[in-house]
Amino acid sequence: MSSLFDTLSVMILLSSFVLMANKRIKSYIKTFRIQSMLIALAAGILGIQSVMEEGRIDVLVICFIIVVLKVIYIPKLMNKTYSSVEYKVEKDFIWNIPALVLACCALVVFTYFSISTIDGINEGFNNIQIVNSVSVILIGLFFMISRKKAIGQIIGFLVLENGIFITAMFSTNGMPFIVDMGIFIDMLTAVMIMGVMVFQISDKFDTINIDKLNKLKG
Amino acid sequence: MGFLLLAIPLIAVLLFSLMKKRLFLHAVSITASGLIMMIAVRITKDVIDYGKVEYAHYGGFFYLDSLSIIVLDIIFLIGFFVAVYSVQYLEEDVRRGKLDFKKVRLYYILMHLFLFTMILALTVKNMGIMWIAIEATTLASAFLVGFYNDRYALEAAWKYIIICSVGIAVAMLGIIFLHLSSIGVLESTELLSWTALMENAKGLKTGTARLAFIFILVGFGTKAGLAPMHTWLPDAHSQAPAPISALLSGVLLNSAMYGIIRMAAVVNKNLGSSIYTGRLLIAMGMLSIVTAAVFILTQKDYKRLLAYSSIEHMGVIAVAMGFFTPLSILGGLLHMINHSLTKSMLFLCSGSVLQKYETKHIFKTKGVLKLLPLSGTAFLLGLFAIAGTPPFSVFVSEFGIMMSIFEAGSYLIGAALAILFVIIFAGIAIALFRIFYGGNEVSGLEPGENNIPGALIILTLIVIIGVTGLRMPESIIGLIYEAQSIISGV
Repeated sequence: MSSLFDTLSVMILLSSFVLMANKRIKSYIKTFRIQSMLIALAAGILGIQSVMEEGRIDVLVICFIIVVLKVIYIPKLMNKTYSSVEYKVEKDFIWNIPALVLACCALVVFTYFSISTIDGINEGFNNIQIVNSVSVILIGLFFMISRKKAIGQIIGFLVLENGIFITAMFSTNGMPFIVDMGIFIDMLTAVMIMGVMVFQISDKFDTINIDKLNKLKG
Repeated sequence: MGFLLLAIPLIAVLLFSLMKKRLFLHAVSITASGLIMMIAVRITKDVIDYGKVEYAHYGGFFYLDSLSIIVLDIIFLIGFFVAVYSVQYLEEDVRRGKLDFKKVRLYYILMHLFLFTMILALTVKNMGIMWIAIEATTLASAFLVGFYNDRYALEAAWKYIIICSVGIAVAMLGIIFLHLSSIGVLESTELLSWTALMENAKGLKTGTARLAFIFILVGFGTKAGLAPMHTWLPDAHSQAPAPISALLSGVLLNSAMYGIIRMAAVVNKNLGSSIYTGRLLIAMGMLSIVTAAVFILTQKDYKRLLAYSSIEHMGVIAVAMGFFTPLSILGGLLHMINHSLTKSMLFLCSGSVLQKYETKHIFKTKGVLKLLPLSGTAFLLGLFAIAGTPPFSVFVSEFGIMMSIFEAGSYLIGAALAILFVIIFAGIAIALFRIFYGGNEVSGLEPGENNIPGALIILTLIVIIGVTGLRMPESIIGLIYEAQSIISGV
């Protein structure tokens, strides 16, 4: 079973590399949807396992919520926001794509070495699932820095949340149920507020390029 | 009884969304925050008598002890004052055509939701729910920061929600690692519960707990405005409506700092010493104070100046908690109270000045003492107070913290802190005292207060900080001692 989760965590990590290599906002959203599907799959397997062994259904409920929220609703919301604010395709990233992907590789190596020094996470061997999921968090953070458009930042934030969710799932088999629920509600509200703000920014600044948000200094 | 604290703001929000008249909105807002104050007095008395308040309902999530009641009482007090101040502030904005009824209603709904999330963060013992509530504070206040909906406000709001959400997400990672370090130690019903963590602190896995502390410090530190994650703070505080700035600075920063303190207590008990958390907290605290000093010296906007001063004081509290001696913890807790009251008063004053002059620029504001005799005088005195002049209360706590640092033998840090305080005092004096003098012939504005209830609130606050500077009531001192022993874990 653990090798299955290893594979899934590697695939989730790969999907965040793919995200970094995406050029258009439409493809960001698509990649995010694929990543969420992978996470839902992992949660589903874990959920079935916990139903069989302990009779708990909460992980399955969470899997269902992921499918509804992250695979269906949020990508739809993002697509809607995007199609109503964007007028033309521009270059959206700070460095060129190969450099960004190389930087992501460096992040994974960094995570590997920093996690391997911490006791309590590794019982005798390196826990590859935690390395992968923490790398997803860092790549999400880096994605937020590397994109200039407001929607790019929202997607980066969502990937970061995905990373945190799988860290929780792989390391501890999920947080207490109420905490997980709270995280979902918070995240959904955050994304909705950010979406509304994207409209307002596009309205006042005539662009969603956040380089233009540079009035407040000092 | 305690659940009313959580229920009243929600009921108020519900009522707001049904109302059709501005007058009712104001009335409900003041009634709700006044009611909460009255209940708070009762609950505080319970906490003083029994040490803690706990209910078994809903899995026993509700938990209050001396530490949380201190931070909580500040919320109630400032929440009430802000509710009273907001009435005339909003009416003035409506009169100038800046707001309409819908906006006023939105303001009240979000403000009470904001209060609710902060109260929730402080009344739970589960670190996970506390995290959810602190993240929700960002969501509730994001539109309040961008309330005036111009380019500046939107920029501030976007920075606020992005930086704080990411920061808080990092704190979540910390809580996951905390959870991981406690697996196998805690019962499944008390996972993530702070009291259980504190009791079994020795059994947590040390490496993971240390990692958790770093993430939580960075995460909640973002929300508390510690440098180098402070960049959202001056923008948000300067663009939000003045009463909201008072809430952000006086209450929100404390709630985030409270999370850090709880976490530091667990990790210190686990490690058996405070060196690890202490070094991190002191480094971040000193960096915040230095950053604030530099920016205060060159500031042209008075609300931003006050915001940087908040960063400074959060830094002072972080340093005090870093030393973790009984005296420094007492000083830090006292400083939380004093800073909140003083800084919210200053932000309320800045609101009155802003509505009079319609500019935040220091050089375009002249003769405040003549134009606003009441709140202008209070503003001037408050600036002396926040810079640490006796007899005001901030002086007492800053002095206590300095004493504890010298007692702990860190002469270098103590000396650096003293020099930085002097620089900040000079910075505030040079930058801001010019707005009080000069004639009103330049501006051509009529003298007189716009916001009479607001001015009375400001006067009450300045009396409170003056009197508590001379003599803190015994019961509050008792609470602070109690909270100190909770943090020390003895």
